[in-house]
Amino acid sequence: MAVVRLDNLSKRYTGTADAAVDRVSFTVADGEFMVLLGPSGCGKSTTLRMIAGLEAISEGALWIDGRQVNTVPAKDRDIAMVFQSYALYPHMTVRDNLAFGLRRRDVAKAEIERRVALAASILGLEPLLERKPFALSGGQRQRVALGRAIVREPKVFLFDEPLSNLDAALRVATRNELVKLHRRLGVTMIYVTHDQVEAMTMGQRICVMNRGRVAQIGAPLEVYRNPADAFVARFLGSPPMNLFPATLRTDGGRALAAAGTHAIPLERWRTEALSPGREVLCGIRPEAFEIAGRTTAGTATVTGSLSAIEPLGAETLLLVDLGPGVGEVTARVRDDVDAPIGSTMALSFQPASVYLFDRTSELAIPAEGRA
Amino acid sequence: MANAEPFADRATRMLRSAPLAAVLVLYTLYSALPFAWIATMSVRTTSEISANHYAWPTVWHWEKYRAAWFDSNFGTYFWNSTLVVVAAVAVVTVLGAAAAHCLARYRFRGNRLVYFILFSSIIFPPQIILISLFQVMAGYGLYNSRLGLTLVYIGLQLPLTVYLLEGFFARIPQDLFDAAKIDGYGDFEIFVRIVLPVGMPAIATTVILNFIQLWNEFLFAVVLVNDPGLSTLPIGIRRFMGDYFQDTGMIATGMMIAVLPVIVVYAFFSEKLIQGMTAGAVK
Repeated sequence: MAVVRLDNLSKRYTGTADAAVDRVSFTVADGEFMVLLGPSGCGKSTTLRMIAGLEAISEGALWIDGRQVNTVPAKDRDIAMVFQSYALYPHMTVRDNLAFGLRRRDVAKAEIERRVALAASILGLEPLLERKPFALSGGQRQRVALGRAIVREPKVFLFDEPLSNLDAALRVATRNELVKLHRRLGVTMIYVTHDQVEAMTMGQRICVMNRGRVAQIGAPLEVYRNPADAFVARFLGSPPMNLFPATLRTDGGRALAAAGTHAIPLERWRTEALSPGREVLCGIRPEAFEIAGRTTAGTATVTGSLSAIEPLGAETLLLVDLGPGVGEVTARVRDDVDAPIGSTMALSFQPASVYLFDRTSELAIPAEGRA
Repeated sequence: MANAEPFADRATRMLRSAPLAAVLVLYTLYSALPFAWIATMSVRTTSEISANHYAWPTVWHWEKYRAAWFDSNFGTYFWNSTLVVVAAVAVVTVLGAAAAHCLARYRFRGNRLVYFILFSSIIFPPQIILISLFQVMAGYGLYNSRLGLTLVYIGLQLPLTVYLLEGFFARIPQDLFDAAKIDGYGDFEIFVRIVLPVGMPAIATTVILNFIQLWNEFLFAVVLVNDPGLSTLPIGIRRFMGDYFQDTGMIATGMMIAVLPVIVVYAFFSEKLIQGMTAGAVK
């Protein structure tokens, strides 16, 4: 087990102006499950590959278990990596795939057999040990890839989108297996994904990355509830947070965000802390909306024209056009809705569920209370 | 038989595939009949062949094989061909695979330039270098030697081999290399333990192509080797052709002797090595 510390880590490729990874700093605690989350091209995989030793570090320092490893080859970092593509050696059996790394390290034959047997029993690979990768299903291949990492007994496990090639059902099952495995092994794990559900459900902490930089680090619910900027707010949550331009003003001592023809009450900010006339982005999560009239008092309401209804079974997505200046917002409600398209739809929400972001910097405007 | 295909559907399907089957049958006959014809001629005498070109052998003259091997020096030609071609193919395969791996995997200045020069050399017909090559070989004392011919064959086949293998190796996923690196293997070990086994289908293809090409090579063999004791099989077969008479029966026998190793090599590599080597490596 080990602490992994990234200190202003950067990666610049020759011939490109922008850094692929730009001064990324964070520390993964001993035995922690950290998820690097972000859209394609945000630098999360490059960061992971730098930790693995597969990419040279342009600037900054990387520490694993108290040792600076910037120039240490991948094989000497005591890490194991599971790849998105599985990366199984196609000409070797499952047993040989598992043992391949150990043989190179001159591990005794009996010890190799013990570790292979243990990994095979943990992952249910015993009946597959003599098969070659082409004779395995996607899920089985993924388990072999996982087993190859387990037998190494490394200080740090690295995962590069390991579930992306699995179908939806298998992905959920493997997700749970990985979480159990982490609990069982208690090893430091760094997991890269673009799937927010994986990040929210697996990570003890998540590091959201954007354009090569860290946008926010924190516990999943903490990041979800208090996004540091509009990017994180948009990226975390499905459907994403509704964001629309608004201007701050006061009305009878109450703070409001004027958006189009709507006045959004702001309860979480002290009136004197908000400058009237300030241009902001106003954010409301789809699940914060309810159909007006069906909830308790104390809520605010916006009214618009119903554009589309997407029934999902347990819940319904409503697309409501709130008019010029705001545009379409998405509401996720638990009710069945059979209103005709184009009809007037009033949506209610708790003012405490409103977020504000600076229009220029897109950074969150901190509130006194939590959302 | 609830799911049995209705007769009408089956008939329609067969009718649709009939043109393809007809083309395949015609092509197979086109390829196989000349070979079968030579095979029959190889056990007939030239006078029998002159009497009727296409007749089935009435007497099977197997002794012609013995005569070709011992009396017409085919044993020597066969040995020379084997030595030169096997050595050339072995060197071409090892060098070509290593070069292709470097070009496919490593970024270095001039990578594409080297690739372009190699590719360019495939385009030009080899005859244009014949005279200069002859002078070089003579200058270095390699004229009329098996080593000289082997070196020329290596040079001839290397560009195409690199070209073919580079295309295949470039498609081997980078993740396999990364996984092997993390597993503790160095560049050379990765080449030997990962690239060569995974690339075996392509390597087998180049081995077959190079072997057939060089086994049948005539032009450089006739120009660069003059000594009958050093001649290869194609030159040996040519010796049955005189200015006024050609021994068609013995030519056919010689051709059958010459073609046998090609069939063996093809059967071995195509059957054993190509099957499912890469399936399942990565998704």
